[in-house]
Amino acid sequence: MSRGFNRLLDAVVRIDVREIEFNDGAKRITGGVGSGVIISNDGLVLTNAHVVSPQAVEISVTLASLERINAKLVGWDHWTDLALLRIDLEAIKSRRLNFAVADFGDSDDLFVGQTVFAVGTPHGLTRTVTRGIISNNKRYFEDSRGVNGYETGAFNTWLQTDAAINPGNSGGPLVTEDGKVVGINSRGYVGADNLGFAIPAKVARTVAATLVKEGAVTRSYAGIGFRELQDLERFYALSANTGVLVANVDVGSPAAKAGLRAGDVVLTLSGRKVDGRFPEQLPPIQQSIAGLPVGSSVKVGVKRGDQVVELSATTEKLESRVGEEWAFEKWGLTVRKVSRAYARENQLTDATGVVVLGVQPGYPAAEAGLARGDIITKVGSNTIAELARLKELYAGYESKPEPQLVEAQRNRRISLYVIKP
Amino acid sequence: MATAAPLPELFQERLKSVVAVEFFIQAETERQPVTVLGTVIDDAGTVILPGAAIMPSVAPGQLRDFKIYRPGGTESAAATYLGQDAFTGWHFVRIEEKGRTGLVPVTHWQAMKADPALSDELWGIGLRNKDEDFQPYFLSSRVAIMMNLPQKTVVLGADVAGPGLPVFNAAGELAGLAQPSFGQNFLMFSRNQRGSPVVLVNVEESSVVLLASEVLPHLGRVPKSVTGRPIAWFGAYGLQPMDPEVAKLLKLENQSGVVVSDIMKSSPADEAGLQERDIILAIDGQPLPRLKPDRIVVSYFGQQILRRLPGDTITLSVLRGTANVDLRLKLGDEPKLVREADRRYFEKLGLTVREFLYNDGIIHRASPGTTEGVMVHFIKPGSAVATAGLRSDDWVREIDGVAIKSYTQATEMLAAIEADQHRAEFVLLVSRGGETQVLRVKLN
Repeated sequence: MSRGFNRLLDAVVRIDVREIEFNDGAKRITGGVGSGVIISNDGLVLTNAHVVSPQAVEISVTLASLERINAKLVGWDHWTDLALLRIDLEAIKSRRLNFAVADFGDSDDLFVGQTVFAVGTPHGLTRTVTRGIISNNKRYFEDSRGVNGYETGAFNTWLQTDAAINPGNSGGPLVTEDGKVVGINSRGYVGADNLGFAIPAKVARTVAATLVKEGAVTRSYAGIGFRELQDLERFYALSANTGVLVANVDVGSPAAKAGLRAGDVVLTLSGRKVDGRFPEQLPPIQQSIAGLPVGSSVKVGVKRGDQVVELSATTEKLESRVGEEWAFEKWGLTVRKVSRAYARENQLTDATGVVVLGVQPGYPAAEAGLARGDIITKVGSNTIAELARLKELYAGYESKPEPQLVEAQRNRRISLYVIKP
Repeated sequence: MATAAPLPELFQERLKSVVAVEFFIQAETERQPVTVLGTVIDDAGTVILPGAAIMPSVAPGQLRDFKIYRPGGTESAAATYLGQDAFTGWHFVRIEEKGRTGLVPVTHWQAMKADPALSDELWGIGLRNKDEDFQPYFLSSRVAIMMNLPQKTVVLGADVAGPGLPVFNAAGELAGLAQPSFGQNFLMFSRNQRGSPVVLVNVEESSVVLLASEVLPHLGRVPKSVTGRPIAWFGAYGLQPMDPEVAKLLKLENQSGVVVSDIMKSSPADEAGLQERDIILAIDGQPLPRLKPDRIVVSYFGQQILRRLPGDTITLSVLRGTANVDLRLKLGDEPKLVREADRRYFEKLGLTVREFLYNDGIIHRASPGTTEGVMVHFIKPGSAVATAGLRSDDWVREIDGVAIKSYTQATEMLAAIEADQHRAEFVLLVSRGGETQVLRVKLN
């Protein structure tokens, strides 16, 4: 192998994570294993968002020398399934450890059929190298709950490879023969053979740079659900390679306020022509809105029937469908804040309330009759608009336990429950 | 009291009040045969069938070829479907005149003077399947428990009759009518599974009996029309029982209530000023009874509405926050039901569409009174629309880019598309679970 490849191997790490889970009505710690790659001399490690999330409480990185060292989360971005860690440099110094830093290659230059290698920790088997080719260099793959229930894939295409990618490979690099990182391995098709996907290095570098600076990637949201036009140009009487279909407009979103409707065809965005004939053309279109500063005005050129109209939408901050999670341990209750996206999916009037993630049998919440999926909207006479409000009320309960009247909705049916000490 | 005849004799006599009823449900591409058991209720050959015999979405026009068989008989008589009564849920059919000979209405048999008591022995009739000529057989068991569900009902220790058939005591007096049986919890063991819980429901026999005092007063509720109308309408959705712990906390000990979740705009409930989160405690001054399980109070409330007629006025006593409020409410006419909706099957396209109804508007959170678009009622498997991804219960908003304002407009457009030999495709805009989609249907 090349020198570059050997150096790359010294930059790949195993990542062991312990994180909090709120699923069963209690805070529980679960463990997981993934991979990562060191990308800077100051100890930044790139991995997947589904390997290390903000719920991680302990991150341990195993270097190529098999030495273990702690790391902290710098930031994550579930949309691109990327997370950035920093290893404990003090410890590196005091323990006189060494590591190598990987070089990025240009993922735009990849050609289908090119040989690539995946390096990582599949099923906990540290330092495994598998080989394959680039099977497709522009795979579109959007999943509304692909990263631990969070959305992913709307703003980037993926590299598809037949290099074996198994659970635990996640976060490890996809590299060329000369050891250049061209992607971050992210997922494989469950039950399929040799269908693996990686985030292109170009996306990874941009996101990593933002995470270092800001700890998160802020995106703009307009509320337009784009769909490829494929074969519909004739129906919409469009000239070739123009326009993208609006399949859906989120209720109450900037696009809805601007008057955009499902069935419209978007011809231009901020004056630039849009071509969305095929699914793999959607991520750049979506990114062209997401990449704008929040509060930007987007001019949308729309074809509606025979008319062409220009609408203007002011973007909002893009939010995840997964809200903050919390455990109320004395109640045996774990909840997640209702997000705008969740409210929309479930046709709720607004984002008031918290969703029950789980109840512990025998604890007050379960005894009261609350169950997973209920949306708690009120406690006593207090509307639960924010999770913080419920935390306050819980603190009150902790200092002085008294029966609490809880209002919850299930399938839009309102029920009342009593949580008793 | 005269000595009762021996049971075998009583059994042979009581058989004259029971029949097996066979019919078909005609769907777009298939017909589904149904066999249920029924009880003869009068000299006009009227028979009642359990409510569960026919799904609510089935239109009366789809019910075909009603035939009546006697226990142990091979000859059938034709019958006509009369409709479903909203209050009891019973379906009514009437046997053709020449088929009525020898039938005896169940009302002919003396009813028990008092409700059956715990441990009383009751007996009833079961009928085998058609391939065994609906051969009758004898069942008996003892009363295990009495319940208000909300009607007075007894559950016996074992199955006592086919669901829909009468049950008697040792003297041959009518005790009640067997209801569809309850599910029973079992653990299933197999080579691969160790004790996984399953619920089993016996569809041929039942141990649940609705008492005669709850049956006899309602036998006159023969529907005036095949649609079952008139049906009273209240206009609130998602009523939930008030939990006893909640009642205690609200200082409503020993009271029962239903919590109102959703009020339909311009419905009777809305016009009377009922609000979401109101807790209804009484109707016309009668407190809602405490029933177990808690949810039975919701059925009770529903029946209190359905036993009344459109135009009737009721007074509701409601707890709103901490205030007690009385509301006068004039019941309306139930909006058109799915079974009454206009529908049309387009065989070549492979779908049935039906009118968009008031109740569809509730499900889709459309503004009240919306009549735009049509609902997809049926998709033929493998058809052009199925391939395009259309599903039943999709709400079609546009056809070929034209907004659908009425059912007629939609069916005219679809008919034109179907008739056009040269048509290669058409495009639908549909709503599904709050999201819209554009679907392209390729023809030929």
